[in-house]
Amino acid sequence: MSLFGHVFFSEVLKHSVFDAKGEVAGRFADVVVIRGEPLPKISFILIKRHGQLYQAPWDDVSIFSRRILSIQRAADSLEPYDRDDDLLLARDILDKQIVDVNGAKVVRVNDVRLEGHNGHAILSAVDVGIRGLLRRLGIERRTERVLTFFKFSLPWNLITWNYIQPLNPKLKTITLTIPRQMVAALHPADLAEIINQVSREEGATLFTDLDTKTAAETLSEVGPQRQAELIGGLDVERAADIIEEMPPDEASDVLGDLPTETAKDILERVEEDEAKDIQELLAYDEDTAGGLMTTAFIHYGPQTTVGEAIERFRTDAVAVESVYQIYLTRDDQELVGAVSLKELLLAQLSTTLGSIADLKPRTTSPETKQKAIAKLMAKYDLVALPIVDAARHLLGVVTIDDVITQFSASSGRRKRRGT
Amino acid sequence: MTFEPTPGQDTPKPRARRAWRRLVLLGAIIGPGLITANIDNDAGGIATYSIAGAQFGYALLWTLVPATVALIVVQEMAARMGVATGKGLAELIRERFGVVVTFWLMVGLFLTDMGNTTAEFAGWAASLELFGVSKYVSVPVAAMFVWVLVVKGTYRMFERVFLMICVVYFTYAIAAFMAKPDWVDVARQTVLPSFRFDSSYLSMTIGLVGTTIAPWMQFYLQAAIVEKGVTREQYWGSRIDVIAGSFMTDIVALFIMVVCGATLFPAGIRVDSAEQAAMALAPLAGEHASILFAIGLANASLFSACILPLATAFYICEAMGWEAGVDKTWRQTPEFMSLYTAFIVIGALIVMIPRMPLIPIMWVSQVINGVMLPFVLIFMLVLINDHELMRGWTNSRAQNWVAWATTVVMMALTLGLCVTAIRGS
Repeated sequence: MSLFGHVFFSEVLKHSVFDAKGEVAGRFADVVVIRGEPLPKISFILIKRHGQLYQAPWDDVSIFSRRILSIQRAADSLEPYDRDDDLLLARDILDKQIVDVNGAKVVRVNDVRLEGHNGHAILSAVDVGIRGLLRRLGIERRTERVLTFFKFSLPWNLITWNYIQPLNPKLKTITLTIPRQMVAALHPADLAEIINQVSREEGATLFTDLDTKTAAETLSEVGPQRQAELIGGLDVERAADIIEEMPPDEASDVLGDLPTETAKDILERVEEDEAKDIQELLAYDEDTAGGLMTTAFIHYGPQTTVGEAIERFRTDAVAVESVYQIYLTRDDQELVGAVSLKELLLAQLSTTLGSIADLKPRTTSPETKQKAIAKLMAKYDLVALPIVDAARHLLGVVTIDDVITQFSASSGRRKRRGT
Repeated sequence: MTFEPTPGQDTPKPRARRAWRRLVLLGAIIGPGLITANIDNDAGGIATYSIAGAQFGYALLWTLVPATVALIVVQEMAARMGVATGKGLAELIRERFGVVVTFWLMVGLFLTDMGNTTAEFAGWAASLELFGVSKYVSVPVAAMFVWVLVVKGTYRMFERVFLMICVVYFTYAIAAFMAKPDWVDVARQTVLPSFRFDSSYLSMTIGLVGTTIAPWMQFYLQAAIVEKGVTREQYWGSRIDVIAGSFMTDIVALFIMVVCGATLFPAGIRVDSAEQAAMALAPLAGEHASILFAIGLANASLFSACILPLATAFYICEAMGWEAGVDKTWRQTPEFMSLYTAFIVIGALIVMIPRMPLIPIMWVSQVINGVMLPFVLIFMLVLINDHELMRGWTNSRAQNWVAWATTVVMMALTLGLCVTAIRGS
């Protein structure tokens, strides 16, 4: 029971450590952190003496407090420390970036709070606020006194360890299962923002941890260059799984940015139908309807009844990113009409789709430029625009979200593939 | 299917960095190296080159050669670190050397950049006064312009402004030809070093090198390269960019020194600012040369005033772990907004207060600059030789030699300045 209550790491770092004889054994240099339940804990403390590191197991620590640090052994019986693969608090955690899962942002570790728990010292929280900074500079108390005089208070900004996802690959050894689940529960757009903020390697660490579905959604949200890096950094099998999970239009965007060889390798491992769709999309210029459209859409014959259509829709639409209309095709190819979901749901179950459909839906060719599509959609208030070839064969659908992304993306995506 | 990376155009980058990205988008065309080079020839730099040219003629031209080599080596290190680690220099220093060192480094950078920003506004005010515009009009207008440009500016706007600016730097080349120097003598003095050991010569040399290699440049350059997302495969492009930028910095510097060295020096006219040089040029090199000189000064001052405060606020926040970005509200990014605004407001105010001793302020900021440079270089050298960090991209032996030589020479020069200053007083 050497640590009571809590102490901040910076409050003890570099303090003198006394040995069993009451003599100075050296300076407190660092601690080794290992996985613990429920939180990571200290296994050894490291003492620096004459430029050499020595280790003392936590059980040998008799007093661990702001005022005094002492061990129950003689200084000369300490073992030297020379391992390299441990996780050290000062070296590997302090001043590094971590993900605050709760606030969905990247923060920097200013200090770490240690707490006594069942005779262990556990890492209970991370200080990412101004207090941590001031404490490290040794002026927390003074600043507080001055501010109190002016009736201001210093805010606390602690994140409990439960809400932390480390970015350092080394830290994985003590990563808890809870944050991983929480990371997966973050909105993919938030995850993408986090990945964009950290270094390439750290982003890759975080990305590799995600489950396939979350990874696919996150990948759609990060910038083109990062996309290529993230997917290019994975092994081919996993990359193929993620690509398969993405809507074909976005998958083709990602593959379009990869070196040809890598893209081919990945595509070979993607399920055949999906791979065919992607291949077709890759042939189009990115700023045309062909490059924007998705080939995942719902289409039925005009003789299908509404009841039948609704029944089939329930299973067919699962894999489709967004559905605004159901398309009517003759011979499975030629576009003859479109039915909006609203019309479908309001119609009698026994009527045929052909009788409620708009038989002359607006369409355009795959060569249409993205600006022209936006104009068309704005003019006719469309949320989805079917893309057909000269024989009116339905090739794909451009939905409103594709067009909006194009505009908000400051032209980045437009130029990307070039020729 | 072709692979054509267009760096800096990542689609949904975090909103927090949009303003920064704007700066960097600008870099996607011209490149961080060239931008850094252009900000480097700011009001303080132009003043130093003018004074050096007027006081020593072409005698100090030779310093530009080693300065260019050192500049290339140092900047290339910053660029390489950015590409290899994907992190800014401020971040790396914090992660490696801890918060205390980083904090004091940032305090120093804050002070020097505060001084630099003040110098930019002063340069702007002085050059516009040559055209008869009162500083009480020009400075508030410029401060507002800078603030609004960053908050409301668009990429297109930045692009135009920058293209214009790049052309304006050539005014010095034209002015140099108008001054009709003896080019053979210029070339000879550029390649043949000459030494003198009096305090004014020494302090001038320190000033010249100090203004060419400033600590903030490495922070700015590395952050810009990281933000641009340059990959290892694309690094050769950044290297060219950095080398071209370094040459541009020193060629512009050469022209300024030549203008003053060809006209003011033989006439025995001593100046202690760039605007005095511009004025003194009129009777000697003609009205046009004088106007070109003044336009160059105004342009350089304003351009640097746009980028310095934003860049500094950004990397201080990066080091301290504060959120940054101008399109967020004051409440979301209080530290960043306060820093950014403080730079502009304080810088502008100092210039506007009557009888404010500007020259001592500049001098102190230059000294802090010089004192900090060796530390920054040492940090960079430690970081870039870290195998775990750089993974195969550490310095070669030759690079280490030049970088250490630069560091040692800078330390010696700074020490020399102190000694001569004490003996002189």
